[in-house]
Amino acid sequence: MAFSLHVNGAERVVDAPAHWTLLRALREALGLMGPREACGIGMCGSCTVLLDGRAVSSCLLLTPQAVGRRILTVEGLAGPAGLHPAQQAFLDHNAFQCSFCTPGFIMASVALLGENPHPTDDEIREHLAGNWCRCGAYPEILNAVRALAGRGAATDPPHAR
Amino acid sequence: MSVIGQATPLLDARRRVDGSLPFVLNLRLPGMLHAKVLRSPYPHARIMRLDPSAAAQMPGVVAVLTGRELAEAPGISHLYGLRQKDQPVLAVDKVRFVGEPVVAVAAETADQAEAALAAIEVEYDPLPAVDGELEACAPGAPLVHDGVAGNMGTHYKLRHGDVEAAFARCDVVLEETYTSPAAQHVTLEPHVTLAQFEAGGLTVHSTSQAPYAVRSALAGIFGLAPERVSVKVGPLGGGYGGKGHLRLEPLVAALAWKTGGRPVRLEATRAEEFVIVTKHPATVRLKTGARRDGTLVAREVDVWWNIGAYMDASHMLTRGGLLRAVGPYRFEAVRGDSYGVYTNRPPAAAFRGAMASQGAWAYESHMDSLAHRLGLDPLALRHKNLLRLDDRWVTGEAMHDAHYAELLDEAVRLLDWQRPLVRAEGALRRGRGMAVMLKSAQTPSRSEARVAVHDDGRATVFTSAVEMGQGAHTILAQIAADSLALPADAVQVVGPDTSVTPFEPVTSGSRTTHMMGGAVQRAAQAVGQELKALGGRRFEVEPSALKLADGQVCMPDGQSASYASLLQWAGQPSLERLGEHKVEGQMDDNSQGIGSAHWHQGAGACEVEVDVETGRLRVTRYAGTSWAGRVVNPVRARAQNQGNIIYGLGPTLFEAMVFDGGQVTNANLSDYLIPSLLDIPPELLTACLESSEPDAEMHGIGEMTLPCVAPAVANALFDATGIRLYDLPLTAERIWRALREQAAQAGAGGKEA
Repeated sequence: MAFSLHVNGAERVVDAPAHWTLLRALREALGLMGPREACGIGMCGSCTVLLDGRAVSSCLLLTPQAVGRRILTVEGLAGPAGLHPAQQAFLDHNAFQCSFCTPGFIMASVALLGENPHPTDDEIREHLAGNWCRCGAYPEILNAVRALAGRGAATDPPHAR
Repeated sequence: MSVIGQATPLLDARRRVDGSLPFVLNLRLPGMLHAKVLRSPYPHARIMRLDPSAAAQMPGVVAVLTGRELAEAPGISHLYGLRQKDQPVLAVDKVRFVGEPVVAVAAETADQAEAALAAIEVEYDPLPAVDGELEACAPGAPLVHDGVAGNMGTHYKLRHGDVEAAFARCDVVLEETYTSPAAQHVTLEPHVTLAQFEAGGLTVHSTSQAPYAVRSALAGIFGLAPERVSVKVGPLGGGYGGKGHLRLEPLVAALAWKTGGRPVRLEATRAEEFVIVTKHPATVRLKTGARRDGTLVAREVDVWWNIGAYMDASHMLTRGGLLRAVGPYRFEAVRGDSYGVYTNRPPAAAFRGAMASQGAWAYESHMDSLAHRLGLDPLALRHKNLLRLDDRWVTGEAMHDAHYAELLDEAVRLLDWQRPLVRAEGALRRGRGMAVMLKSAQTPSRSEARVAVHDDGRATVFTSAVEMGQGAHTILAQIAADSLALPADAVQVVGPDTSVTPFEPVTSGSRTTHMMGGAVQRAAQAVGQELKALGGRRFEVEPSALKLADGQVCMPDGQSASYASLLQWAGQPSLERLGEHKVEGQMDDNSQGIGSAHWHQGAGACEVEVDVETGRLRVTRYAGTSWAGRVVNPVRARAQNQGNIIYGLGPTLFEAMVFDGGQVTNANLSDYLIPSLLDIPPELLTACLESSEPDAEMHGIGEMTLPCVAPAVANALFDATGIRLYDLPLTAERIWRALREQAAQAGAGGKEA
């Protein structure tokens, strides 16, 4: 079936079975590899995209449900001026290791800051609790989002050299 | 300033934040077919009847493959394994674990392949099955493999001194048994493999930590010269040991063989991940004798490892696992026995901190039990017995580079052990605990690398070391850059691709910085010598008078020539050399000899808070330390130290695979949870300790803060509540039950802990 999806600022025609999740349509029909499947049941956040500005697990939406909504993936963040501030903050703070989870974290952070430009540490943790990082880059991820929230990094853990 | 020691950003950092990093998951090949696998629903059964013919007729289905067809195909060896070739690509007469592959289907779409599975007719005759490692070696237990008596897949021994006589000299003897359950690596990126036969060769793209092991196994299965098998690996979305040595590759290659030339892709679902590979469950029995003053005298250690239905890498892991269950202490005598027991479970393989986690969980918990029995302070007891430089250990080897006390002291210092602790506040009880561990490095071993400098002045490292987020490629670029007097960003890293990059056995066991780093260094130094030789010829100067600096060959009189200009002058597009790094060491049948060319070392100290009404334990502060020798990249080192602690919290507090009748009953990431942002200790401190000597050896720290997490937390739990738990994970329910039992015993006038 053909669906018209508004993805990263453009209308795209997606040819996909109606039972495909939005995640699968984005990856398989549109070749957008930022959103990823790690759990398939909306627990891990690796598939996070923005739907009309809100963070959603794209593995829990069927493709037809996304018609008429504005979908934003990590591929839609960078502009002619360069990386989005969220991407730059993750770079500046080394906020990833294997980076499989990174697009999901970046999108969730963009959504958070869209709703709440100056979240507290607790608000950041609550909002990002649904994004998992198995490599354990959480401390750096927190620092990146704190920076986006206009606050400095927490005291860097001491590192003896 | 040396490139070694700089906080060089990950080479491909930008692609990691823009979503374009080329995971194998993203790869699509023209004409590609999608595979699905029918897996056994029984832990142990005979296959009585198998009829896949209806599946072959389903829409879009191109190939259906059974174990029998593969076993009967001329020129194909359908059994594979790293050393013991006991694992069928697809089950033939019998299935030995729930999830064992039985039939593989390739179709034009994944949905068509999935639909075809339902049309396959299979009849099984269930057989008695064994699940636990002790149950499986009990007399009369059903056999997983005919002819392997007692399901004893491996048995290794450690004999050092006369342990009976030594026990007789002890004032106190303590015997305890500790267990660890199966756990999942939970790489967020699943296992993915693509395979294609073409032009008389086999090409495989896979999420593998061991491309050369895959090449060797596939060459063996299909009767191909190894050079005809090309294994390519991209950056992994996590490995942690779960993607080596041989996972989906034999199955996908076999299905590709059946299609006669079309590429086949298999991406494991999360449910399949739970039956592809696990962490070894283990039962560790320790009996330790000590003098009243705390001197350790004698130890017996028996470890039963649950290796699952096939040997996989357990022949190596259960051997190293014996030494990893003894502890970094001096003993007059030790007897150790390590048993790799077959069970009707998915194969177990290296899990970050392999075997050292299960070992340290036991011996460091046990150490605090001993301290309590002796009435001694846990830190003082450890200090009295920890290995020092040149002490002889239970293998008879002199322990070079022993920093255990230093690491423990640094962890304790980072945690600020002397800071006053409010031990009781409402329903909360607080306590502190510590642990220190040692882990062997793969010995003997070798790594190869090639380094090239090109006529544009840039360099390339060719390596089969796998990048999985640990920063291996960045570290290797730094090492090459350092030897070539180039900036790190002038170096690119290529590989793994077995048709291009030289030998590396596997990327695991924290080997890369030392072993592959050593190979890269030698190769780069050889290129550097060649550059000087070129400069010598160009300027008619003795090469030994030349130096390398800033990408130039420099003469004593101050003149210099860039690498680019020299190569252009020589008419050579590039200069390339191979480097090899080897470590040696052997042990006899009693584990006497060299157990490891280098002993990996780590420690941890923590503070916990236990809610005695709910049993819930929170780790509020954790300090972890590891020995690096010489840190190559401090940001990557800290990431590894922190990442390991966070990874270790999962199996410590809540991660366990639950089996019922051989089935995994929590095979999804809602029932099996991993640590989230909400689980990390609010205070997480780490340090890498280094030698004060210049040019000290660089050592890997890929796992070193992990094995201490479980025992440090359990020791803190004991300090806070007097509860000693012997089985992981330390769930709220277990703590709650233990607290109730403790209260009941106290109420009944029983002994209080």
